[in-house]
Amino acid sequence: MRCHNAAMTTELQDNPATEADPCRTDRPPGSFAALPFAQALGRNALRVLVGLQIARTVFRIGFAAMAAATVGRLVMGTPVDPALPLIALGSFIASAVAGACAERREAFAETRIACALRERAGNRLATLGARSLQAMPAGETIVALQRHPGAVAALAVGHKAAMTMMGFGPLLAAAALLLVSWQAGLLVMGLTPVMIVFFVLVGATIRRRADDQERAFAHLARQFADRIRTLPTIFANHAFARERDTLSRRLDAHAGRTMGVLSIAFVNAGLIDFFASLSIAMLAVFLGLGHLGLVSLPGFSGLAFWQSLFILMVAPEYFAPFRRFSELYHVKAQGVAAAAALDRLMDREPATEPHIEAIEGDLHALPERGLVAIVGASGSGKTTLLRRLAGADAQAGQGAPPLAGATWVSTDGFVPAGSLADAMAWRCPSATPARIEEVGHALGLADDRLLPGGLSAHVAAGGGNLSGGQRVRLAVARALIADRPVLADEPTAKLDDATAARVREALCTLAQTRCVVVATHDRALASAAMRTIDLDRTVKREAAA
Amino acid sequence: MNTRSLETRRRDWRLATTFAFTALGCAVLLGGLSAWFLGSVALAGLTTAALTFNFHIPAALVRLFALGRVAARYGERLVGHRAALGDQVARRVDLFSCMAAAPGVRRAGWQLGDPARLADYLDDVEDVDYARLRAGLPFRTLTVGFTALILATAWLAPLALVPVGVLLAAGAFLVRRLKREGTAALATARAKRNAGAQEFGAALAAGVPLKAEGQWAACAHEALATLDTGEHATGALRRAQVPLDTLSALAGPLVGASAMLATWFAGLRGGALLASAFLAFAWLAFGESVTGASRIVVALLRRKAAAEALDLWSETKHEAVCVLPEPTTASLCRLGHAGLQRLSPAGLPLGTAPLALSLTAGVPTILKGASGSGKTSLLKQIAGWIGEDRFAFDGGILDAYARCAVTTLVLHDAAVLEDTVRANLFATDQSDVLLWQALEATELDARIKAAGGLDAWLRQDTLSLGEAQRLNLARAWLSTKPIVLLDEPAEHLDTGQGERILKGLAEHLRERIVVVAAHHDVPALTGVAHAIDL
Repeated sequence: MRCHNAAMTTELQDNPATEADPCRTDRPPGSFAALPFAQALGRNALRVLVGLQIARTVFRIGFAAMAAATVGRLVMGTPVDPALPLIALGSFIASAVAGACAERREAFAETRIACALRERAGNRLATLGARSLQAMPAGETIVALQRHPGAVAALAVGHKAAMTMMGFGPLLAAAALLLVSWQAGLLVMGLTPVMIVFFVLVGATIRRRADDQERAFAHLARQFADRIRTLPTIFANHAFARERDTLSRRLDAHAGRTMGVLSIAFVNAGLIDFFASLSIAMLAVFLGLGHLGLVSLPGFSGLAFWQSLFILMVAPEYFAPFRRFSELYHVKAQGVAAAAALDRLMDREPATEPHIEAIEGDLHALPERGLVAIVGASGSGKTTLLRRLAGADAQAGQGAPPLAGATWVSTDGFVPAGSLADAMAWRCPSATPARIEEVGHALGLADDRLLPGGLSAHVAAGGGNLSGGQRVRLAVARALIADRPVLADEPTAKLDDATAARVREALCTLAQTRCVVVATHDRALASAAMRTIDLDRTVKREAAA
Repeated sequence: MNTRSLETRRRDWRLATTFAFTALGCAVLLGGLSAWFLGSVALAGLTTAALTFNFHIPAALVRLFALGRVAARYGERLVGHRAALGDQVARRVDLFSCMAAAPGVRRAGWQLGDPARLADYLDDVEDVDYARLRAGLPFRTLTVGFTALILATAWLAPLALVPVGVLLAAGAFLVRRLKREGTAALATARAKRNAGAQEFGAALAAGVPLKAEGQWAACAHEALATLDTGEHATGALRRAQVPLDTLSALAGPLVGASAMLATWFAGLRGGALLASAFLAFAWLAFGESVTGASRIVVALLRRKAAAEALDLWSETKHEAVCVLPEPTTASLCRLGHAGLQRLSPAGLPLGTAPLALSLTAGVPTILKGASGSGKTSLLKQIAGWIGEDRFAFDGGILDAYARCAVTTLVLHDAAVLEDTVRANLFATDQSDVLLWQALEATELDARIKAAGGLDAWLRQDTLSLGEAQRLNLARAWLSTKPIVLLDEPAEHLDTGQGERILKGLAEHLRERIVVVAAHHDVPALTGVAHAIDL
């Protein structure tokens, strides 16, 4: 929930760690380092962006000068050089163009960096072993890849540019003021330390209150999400009315607390407004007194009308960058959280491979064709052995895995979104419509009453609308269509007898032309094998030796 | 419910609107007045008029507008957020009710259990929640401010209306273009983000097979490329906003300058120009306030897209009043259907012949069958979650709606609520003694004691799969409904424990109608149960 995060971090001072040069960080080499990576990638874009924003400010100040001069002369009845309004107009258009270019550059750069960050994450995931992949928290990873790169990019570019402009913008405005009246410039600059003192005072209060409420705050913010997630369970237990009331009560409390934090958080922007307004009010009075000439105010007396108008127009420019930065507080909160989450996910310790005695050491060479069964109790390492044969684990021992690139048959196989026929022919260039149809009928997929539509039935990404049995048959179908060895993990578990028989038969057919290795509890399937690797017995034998 | 009343929220919105008008008014007047004031004193300073010039009133007004602007902006932010939060609470409670009433909740695979979908959903909810604050309020304020300035311009410098007309036409054109391009970009961004997340989720779930087949890297990159397409569409939307923002930034100064020139060309000179200087600087100040006009348009586009998506989830209008069946306390001994047409999760007919179903209290029924044979769907059909079947019971007919109210369905993928143990047991009116008995019966008592008792806070990840399953069975143990349906009750439990708990549960529920769906034998119930093989 964006706005709630927003309220949490409101300090103006940036965390020094996020500013640090990526080369100087104390991260171990090879760590993901999302933010330093984004910053390094965005350095050039940032330079251009800040350059454009400086140009925009300079042109705006130029416009203010020319407009003030024009209006001043018109009102005072002095002749106006026609070039003045034209230069004013030109400067203003130039500042608008610079502003537009800056916006476009920012959007471009952030998109590019977000995509690069996503690619970096993708490359890192590509090298993970099967076990580490399985250990990834799926939901969190998906959300992280979907939205975190954009948030980190916004922090590295847009937010960083706004922060840099807090240095340049006021400096330019102050310089312009000093040119006209150094006393006026001094007055505006003199307000800055006061403003900073206020920020420090308020900032401390904000942090204290935010800390006090964060815990309560965080879980209340999650309440709605949690109740939506658990709706079927709530419904099944007839707790709807109770949960609605709880939700309403908690959201109310949540809203109350949010207001508590926001009332302080808005003080931040309010302070900048206050000082900007105060400076205008003070300048207007001093300049007015100066013009009347009744009292002598050094720096404010003897100015031309256009000069005082210019001072009044430029003074708000001095505060504008602070204001812009204070509006981006949520970008920072989100970006920092996103970078931390990405780092945490991408720098996870690789899962350790269990040392299973039975499958260490040399495996007897696998046959060119025929059915090999791996049997043994649960936890004896059947699946691990299959994975090693395929080379799916990251640190899979020595030499090339014997069956790399085999078709993998299990209930959790990959199912692309599309038609059933597409799913059967996925990544199999040799698939022909005739073969797909033949295989579909042989496995009872084409005429499954639970999957109306036959081979053109729609299949959701991940096979969400398929049952376990349908998914195993889909994998077997892919094995039959492709011309590769087969590794099957419990292919007949959870199947009804008729389907199990069909799958067994298909695996035996496959074994006539290629090597098929199955890890199974199914006695009928194991007995059809030409060779059996009994992991329980291997252990016993080795223990005896 | 103690949700802030509609009247209070209306008052908040009125107050926020007043603050917004005041803030804009102060800003515009401050700009105009300070220019006029400086001009006046500069002219007065040239002559003896300086001695009689009333300096204090305009100076006081400048201070008033300056501080009024600060106060009103702060008030606008604060009250606007309060109003929006008040709306949000009310809307979310309504939305929750509608979601609960939507049939999708009761069908297969509740997709909002999936974090990526849930995150998108919550973004949509927020886009709708805050549209009024982000679009409605600023739009109204700016329209009123603009109209007031137009009227002033028409009075003081009618010629300046020509550039205003041109700018308005250009603005209308750019708004239309942003609407068109923005709608397309937003649709692409949403669709691709969603598709990419699903593709990646599918690939990650199939990580081992893909890794084994050497396809993982390609597959993951493909999914991420889809997400990148979404990112590019978001970037395109941001770039599409630029022309309108540039125009709105140009508008104030251009019109201000035109007003000044128009009066000059009309022949006014010197002090007579002060009024139009006032107007010109008022336009300038207004121009500062309209920066970000495109954000209003985008907030509206987002609200539209989000509201459409939310309607799909709840399948009803949010405003609709949703009524859910209230539980009744009818006691049932026998429930049956002579020829039940089974339905698939998608609502398609299933099975070769209609099923004769006779469920009796005291004799648990076991639905056996391989995965995918439609056990869960049949349970949901009995529970009245899917289909419109009418079942016969001792005293008459129970339709789906009525069965819903007298059935506890124990889902196999039941979730843990982020709440106390007590709330998670869904038995608020039961004594603590009974709750502990239920926990004991499901062998969870030691675990819950260690966690801190009935008021310990639970989350989905506090409990292991097996513990969550036992919590689920404790809910069944505490159920007071005459029909209890259990879907794969022994899943994630080891054999001995599953048998013990099920035996106890069957004994405890011996006077109710109990149906158990399982893909293998249920030894705990052999002898007592009646089995149906699907």
